[in-house]
Amino acid sequence: MSAHSAAAQGYIGCHLCGQVMKAAAGPQRCPRCKSPVHFRKPHSLSRTWALLITAMILYIPANALPIMSTRYFNQTSSDTIISGVVYFLASGDWPLALIIFVASVVIPLLKILTLIYLLISVHRRSLIKPAERTRLYRLTEFVGRWSMVDVFVIAILTALVHMGVLVNIEPGWGATAFAAVVILTMLAARTFDPRLIWDHQRQALAHQQTRPISDQGDMPRSTTT
Amino acid sequence: MPLLICPECDTLQRLPALPEGAEARCHLCEARIHRRRRGGLNVPLALLLGAAVFFLLANLFPLLTLHIQGNSQTSSITGAALALYREGMAAIALLTWLTSVLFPGLVIASGLYVLSALRFGLRLPGLRQVLKLISLVHPWGMLDVFMLGVMVALVKLSGTADITLGIGIQAFAALVILFAWAMSQLEVRQLWERLEEISR
Repeated sequence: MSAHSAAAQGYIGCHLCGQVMKAAAGPQRCPRCKSPVHFRKPHSLSRTWALLITAMILYIPANALPIMSTRYFNQTSSDTIISGVVYFLASGDWPLALIIFVASVVIPLLKILTLIYLLISVHRRSLIKPAERTRLYRLTEFVGRWSMVDVFVIAILTALVHMGVLVNIEPGWGATAFAAVVILTMLAARTFDPRLIWDHQRQALAHQQTRPISDQGDMPRSTTT
Repeated sequence: MPLLICPECDTLQRLPALPEGAEARCHLCEARIHRRRRGGLNVPLALLLGAAVFFLLANLFPLLTLHIQGNSQTSSITGAALALYREGMAAIALLTWLTSVLFPGLVIASGLYVLSALRFGLRLPGLRQVLKLISLVHPWGMLDVFMLGVMVALVKLSGTADITLGIGIQAFAALVILFAWAMSQLEVRQLWERLEEISR
């Protein structure tokens, strides 16, 4: 398969609108939508690491601090993310327990682990299953937002259960830390550039064989636009 | 055949002529790189218009009312965000409001603006900026996630209190469906191409 990168042939694709253009020397903007364009997302690895490490640090208060506290007449109780899941399980609402467990525990953890794996695989110039790694990345980018569901539940409960000193629900700082984890991992997924996965693949291929002079039919060399 | 670059693996390729309703996948990494929608702009325009109506209804009417021992408390979407703010949680209050009110509202308004300009051939000002806004803001809209949050909260409260469903929540459910449907009928890349055609 000859699938040379657009970058190697001097082309850039605009990440926002998809416009294809010839690369110029120096900083460049998309002629169509005026967004800045780059061969690869700038400082992708270090930015993704920075966002991810911040997310991991905040993951600790997100789970240790209460996300909300409930006062129901004489009883007061505080819930963390995990105790919220346990509460649903104990009251027999296992479908709900599952939704919250997946959205608040499984997705954030898997997302952090997946991004670490992808980052390390790019650092180590891994050649293992690039298509699967790209698919993993796509999935990570797609499911991340659903983790926000717990924050919205707290918002609605806080607004509704607000009846003076007797019955009241208050948000806790764990909710803010958790929301920060979700947003930071979403940003981390967006700063990671999946094209880096394929760059090493292509380099390795180029070392193995001399590059064919003429490409297959689907690889044009002439300029359009 | 137009040139296309896969956004996920940077493979340069030519886009073959696609039949209506077909999609093209990158031949290296299999990411979807193009989709040709069936029909013109009428369908997404109509769906977005419907979404706009339900967006207004969902925001003007209360979502839920809770009754505990003679007391009742009502909340709207913005009210949920405000409640967080009142409790000193400004960051998540803002986040909730942006992701479930402002961003979806912006996407609906900008979608209507661009689509009606393209559909009726109007040379409205700032079309490029508005189309760009859709791409920038849409990933941060979380209407569907908020809907799930409402349902979880409903189940959580149903054991301890009486809850009345407001007009807002029914409008909101319709909004979630129409909005997702409209966005699935909108191919932003195709809109950019049409925009280039009319501005020539």
